[in-house]
This record gives sequence, structure tokens and C-alpha cells, in this order.
Amino acid sequence: MIDPDGMMTVEAAYDDLLRRSLSRIDGDLARLIYLASTRDYNTGKYHHDGLAARFQREIAGQALELAHREIFYRIAVCSLEELVDQVEVYASSSQQGRDEVLQVWQKLEPYRVALPVDGNVAVAQLFVSNIKLALAILRRRYQQQELVASTS
Amino acid sequence: MMELLSLSAGVVLLVLLIAFASKRWAAARDMRESALPIGEADAEPCPEVFVSRVFSRGDWEFVHSLRSEGISKLFDRERKKVALLWVRQTSVMIRKAMREHASAARQSENLQFSTEISILAQFLTLIVVCGILSVAIQMVGPLFLGGLARFAQRLSRRVAKVQESLQPAPLVKTAGRIA
Repeated sequence: MIDPDGMMTVEAAYDDLLRRSLSRIDGDLARLIYLASTRDYNTGKYHHDGLAARFQREIAGQALELAHREIFYRIAVCSLEELVDQVEVYASSSQQGRDEVLQVWQKLEPYRVALPVDGNVAVAQLFVSNIKLALAILRRRYQQQELVASTS
Repeated sequence: MMELLSLSAGVVLLVLLIAFASKRWAAARDMRESALPIGEADAEPCPEVFVSRVFSRGDWEFVHSLRSEGISKLFDRERKKVALLWVRQTSVMIRKAMREHASAARQSENLQFSTEISILAQFLTLIVVCGILSVAIQMVGPLFLGGLARFAQRLSRRVAKVQESLQPAPLVKTAGRIA
């Protein structure tokens, strides 16, 4: 990262990641979950075979980490209303039913694995709190929709 | 008559103290329940927009438009938790900066009295503001404290900048990494 050429390569890898992979994923929340899934649970290092083949493994890892942080901070400070929309897009695009996704997310809190390593703790807490709220809001919204549908 | 008034004032004060203590206890419990460890001063700084988001009315208005008491309560509890964590993190940062500054000042040979007084005043102001914010957030929540929080954020950034400028030259600091 100190060497200017090295920096260019990370930027190029980052652009490549945005263009080839992230642009095909709907919504920032889904992108965040995808990026977190490229991180090894034990080592905290990021792996992406396609990106590593085009760039060095180390550079690919740095680009993935950069993208992860950027999207995480963007989601963490977005408005609650926007986040509710993001969670709705994510839950609706899942292969499981949206209710099932919401229920599992509320119980297991898998979104905690999306936190970047060594990120700001207050921002991480805001992210976790907002996701909890978004899930509660969406479940209530769906329950109301079901109620309306059943009475009509 | 005076005795009755004094007694009433005493009772009111006692009730207020009990209310305050129970709020503090509840807030402390919330902090303990938070699975995240307290941020150390070395953590990444909060983005500028963080304080505006946590202390703003926008999200509160959205939540209240849903007309759900349960969600409103959850929102108040969660925002209070986040705001208190930020205040605590800022306090940790100030204390660390104060320690580092005192240590650097002890070794320095050309201390400027006026600069040191100005830095000390900023540290003390921040400590007081963080104390006020901490109590006020526990009492009324973060919603009406945006101005004070933004002031604390600006001041802590200024303190961090002053602290950075007093650090040894970057080459010395990063020598290990470069080598």
C-alpha cells in the first residue's frame, strides 16, 4: 500500500470487483453479506479465486477488504427507512421465504458476521441496532399485510 | 409550614435521585448486554455523518409514523445504547490522548505555556461535555442532544489533530513497517 504502483493495483482490483461481481448483486446489504462471506472465519483474510487469478492473492484480499469496509460504513449510517428497504430487497430475493429469512435473522443474528475486523465499535453497534429495528419493522409490516389479506 | 415544604422538597429530591439511579442502572445493564466490546481509542474514527444519524430526528420520525409502541420503545432503547457507546468511546479517546500528551510533555524541552493551557482547556471541556452527554442521554435519550454531540465531535477531532501534530515524525512512527 506504501508503493504507488501497489496502490494502483489494489484500486484496479477494487474496480474489477465492483464491475464484475458486485454490480450483479441487488442492493448494498446483499453485497455486504457476499463480501463478508469471502472472509475466512479463522484467519480474517479475504479470498476470491477469480480476483486472485487476475491480480495477486494479497492484492485481491486488500480490494475485498476495502469494498467490505466501504459498503459496511455506507449501510451503517444510512437512514432507517433506507435500511428497511434494503432488508426487504434482501429477504425477498432469497431462495427461502422472506418470513423465514426474517425469523432466522432475528433469532441467530447472522448479520453480525458482516462486521469488518477492527472497525469502529460505535458504528458496528449502530449497524446491529438498525438491523434489529429493520427486522422488527418488516415483520410487523408483513403481519399487518397478512391480516388485511385474511380479512378481505 | 416551612417544615412541610422542606420535607416535600426532600421527598421530591429523593424520588428524582432514585429515578436517576434506576435509569443509570438500566443504561449500564444495556451496555453490558451489548455483545460488542468497548471501542478502544485506536479504533477507526467515526464517520462525520455518524453523530448526525444517531442524534437526528429523521429516524425517530420514521419510527413514530409506524404507530407501534413496541417498535418505538425498541428504537429508543437501541439509540440510547449506541449514543452512550459513542460517548464512552470518545471519553476513552480523550483520556488516552491526555495520557499520551502528558507523557510527551514531560520529555519535551520547549513547552509553550499558552499552548499547553489551550490543550488542557480543550481536554477538560471535552470531559465535561461527555459527562453531561452521558447523564442527559440516560435521562432523556439522544434525540434533543444533537448540538452538544456535534460540538463534542468537532472538539474531539480538533484534539486528535493537535495530538497527531505532537506525535514524532511519521518516518520514526512507521519505521518498523517500512523496514
